[in-house]
Amino acid sequence: MSNNGNSSSLSVTQFGVLAGAGALVLYGLIRRSKAGLALATAGGLVAYQQARSQSQSTKQTATAVFRINSTPARAYEIWRNLEGLPRFMAHLESVKVLNDRYSEWTAIGPLDTKISWTAEIIEDTPNERIAWQSIAESEIQTSGWVEFQKDPQGRGSMVRAFVEYSNPLGALGRSLLSVLGKNPDFVVKEDLRRFKAIVEAGEVPTTVGQPHGPRGVHGHIEQALFRETSNHPAPQANQTRQPGAAVA
Amino acid sequence: MKAVCWMGKEKMQVHDVPDPKILNPRDAIIKVTTTCICGSDLHLYDGYVPTLEQGDILGHEFMGEVVEVGSGINSDKLKVGDRVVIPFTIACGRCFACQNQLWSCCDNSNPNAWIAEKMMGYSPSGLFGYTHMMGGYSGGQAQYARVPFADVGPIKIPEGMPDDKVVFLSDIFPTGYMGAENCNIQPGDTVAVWGCGPVAQFAIRSCFMLGAGRVIAIDRVPERLQMAQEAGAEILNFDEVDVVEALHDLTGNQGPDSCMDVVGMEASGHGLMFAVDRAKQMARMQMDRPIVLRQAIMACKKGGTVSVPGVYASFIDKVPMGAFMNKGLTMKTGQTHMMRYMEPLLKRIQEGEIDPSFVISHTLPLESAPEAYKMFRDKQDKCTKVVLKPWEEKLAA
Repeated sequence: MSNNGNSSSLSVTQFGVLAGAGALVLYGLIRRSKAGLALATAGGLVAYQQARSQSQSTKQTATAVFRINSTPARAYEIWRNLEGLPRFMAHLESVKVLNDRYSEWTAIGPLDTKISWTAEIIEDTPNERIAWQSIAESEIQTSGWVEFQKDPQGRGSMVRAFVEYSNPLGALGRSLLSVLGKNPDFVVKEDLRRFKAIVEAGEVPTTVGQPHGPRGVHGHIEQALFRETSNHPAPQANQTRQPGAAVA
Repeated sequence: MKAVCWMGKEKMQVHDVPDPKILNPRDAIIKVTTTCICGSDLHLYDGYVPTLEQGDILGHEFMGEVVEVGSGINSDKLKVGDRVVIPFTIACGRCFACQNQLWSCCDNSNPNAWIAEKMMGYSPSGLFGYTHMMGGYSGGQAQYARVPFADVGPIKIPEGMPDDKVVFLSDIFPTGYMGAENCNIQPGDTVAVWGCGPVAQFAIRSCFMLGAGRVIAIDRVPERLQMAQEAGAEILNFDEVDVVEALHDLTGNQGPDSCMDVVGMEASGHGLMFAVDRAKQMARMQMDRPIVLRQAIMACKKGGTVSVPGVYASFIDKVPMGAFMNKGLTMKTGQTHMMRYMEPLLKRIQEGEIDPSFVISHTLPLESAPEAYKMFRDKQDKCTKVVLKPWEEKLAA
C-alpha cells in the first residue's frame, strides 16, 4: 500500500490523544451496550477531530490477488452482477444498479453510519476486466479495477483487484482503522478471499450466530482481536440466490 | 441444549446454550448421539494452543442423526434422518486442495484464514471446536452441532452398526491410518511409534495392515503399552530405557525404517533438554515441546521416513536438522485428509478386520466432561479414551 499524501510527524501529545481515543472506541465497541456506544462515539469524534487537524485528505491504494478454481468467464460473470458485490465486500450494505453504466453504492462506516456514492463503470471487457470510479460530485472519491486472467498452466484464473480512494482521516486515521481490522490492504484481501469462496464453494464461511458458552470480558476482547465481529459475513442461508451462484 | 465449553485453562464447564441453526445453504444440523474427547483436546484444555476464546464449545469427534439440512444440500448426498459420522476437518469439496484430495487443506472453510496465514503462511481447513485460528467453529461436545459443507464430509452409517464401532471414523482411526500410510511402509519394515494413546493404537494396527513386519511402541503408561502389545507390537518404556539407544539395539544399529511421532507438542521425556523445553513452553518462549520429534529424527535409519500425525501448533527449537539432512530423511505430516479414508476404513470395520471400540475405557454422560478431561489428561483410572453420551443423565453420586 502506498500513501501519497503528506505524512506529518506526530507530537507526543497528539499521539497520546489519538491512542486514548482509539482505546475508547475499542472499549466502547467491545461493550456493545448503549453506554459502550456513547463511549465509542466520543472516542471516534476525538480521533476524527485530531486526525482532521493533522492532515488533509490523502489517497490510498490497496491490491490483492487470488488464484481461483474457475474460468475467467464465470468469475467475471459473478463480479459483473454488481448487486451481488455486498456478498463479499464486507463494508458494502447494498449496490443498486441504475443503468448499464451507473450504480449507487452504500457502505456502512464506523458505528453504522451510512455513506452513499454513485459509481460509473469506465471499462468493461467481458471475461477480462472491469474498472469503475465514483462520479465527480460524490461524497468520497474512489476507483478500482478487477482483472480475470486464465492461468497459463491451466489451473483456474488469476483474479487481481485494485482499489484507490481518498481517506478523509489521513495517516492517523489509518492507524486507528488497522487496530479495528479495517485497514485497506486487509479489507481488499479479505473481500477477494470471500469472492473466491463464493465462486468456488457457492457460499462464504461464517460462524456468526452459532451457539457458544458465556464469553465474559476475555471472550469479547478475543472476539474483537480476531476480527470476528468485523470480518465475518452474515449467514447466507436465507439470502435469495444470486445469479451466478454456484450450483450444487 | 447442553454443551461443553472451554472457560479458560483447565476449566471446562457444561452450559445451557441456544441450539445451533442453519447459517449457510450447505449446512446441516446433527443431533449428536456419541461424541469423544480427543488427545488433541488436551492441548486446548492445557491452554497451549493460541486463539481459543472463553465460551468456545469444543469437540471434533462426533456422530449423530441429521435433523435439518440447508437449501444447498442435494438430498442424494444427505437428508434428514441419515445417521452420519462427521469428519473433524471441514472441506468445501471444490477448491484446488479438495480436488487434489488434500481435504484438510481446503481453501474455503476457515473464516479466520488470515490468522492462520500469519502463523503458517497459508491457512489449512477449518476444524470443529479447535481454536479461532482454525475457524472458530463450535464443536461437537454438545447435544446438537452445526456441520458446514455437509454435502462433502459426513459419511452415512449402515444400519446395525453401533456408534462405538464407527464413531472413531471421525478422527482417530483415519488419523492413525494416515500416520501409518505416511511412513511409506515396505513389506517387512520396522516402524517405531512414539506414544501409545488412542491415535497410536490405530496407527500401530494400521502399520500391520500396510505390511509392516515389526512395530516398536514407546510410552510409559502400563495399560497403553499392554494394549500395543496385544496388537503385536514390541514395547519400550521410556522411563526405563534410553529410547534412541534401545532402538539401535533392537535394529542391529540400523535404526527403524520409519519413525512415527504420535505425541506432538506436549511430549514428556527426561533430562536437561526436557526441563529446558518445558520451561520455555511455560514462559511462552516456545509453544511446542519437540522431545519426540528430535528422538524420531535421531533414531531413524538412513534414508528413512519420519511421519508426524502428532499435533504441533507453532514453533519449536533445537531440531536436529543436520541429522535430518545428512541421513537423507523424508518427513510427512498433516491434519488428516479425512474424506480419503472414511469410506475404505468403514469397509474394514464392516468386514470385521478391526473393531475400533477396543480403545474405549470410559463411557460417560456429557455432563461428566469436566471431570473426564482431567482424568484423561492425568491418565487416572486407566483412562485411554472417553466417549460421551449427550442425551444420558448424570447419575447422582
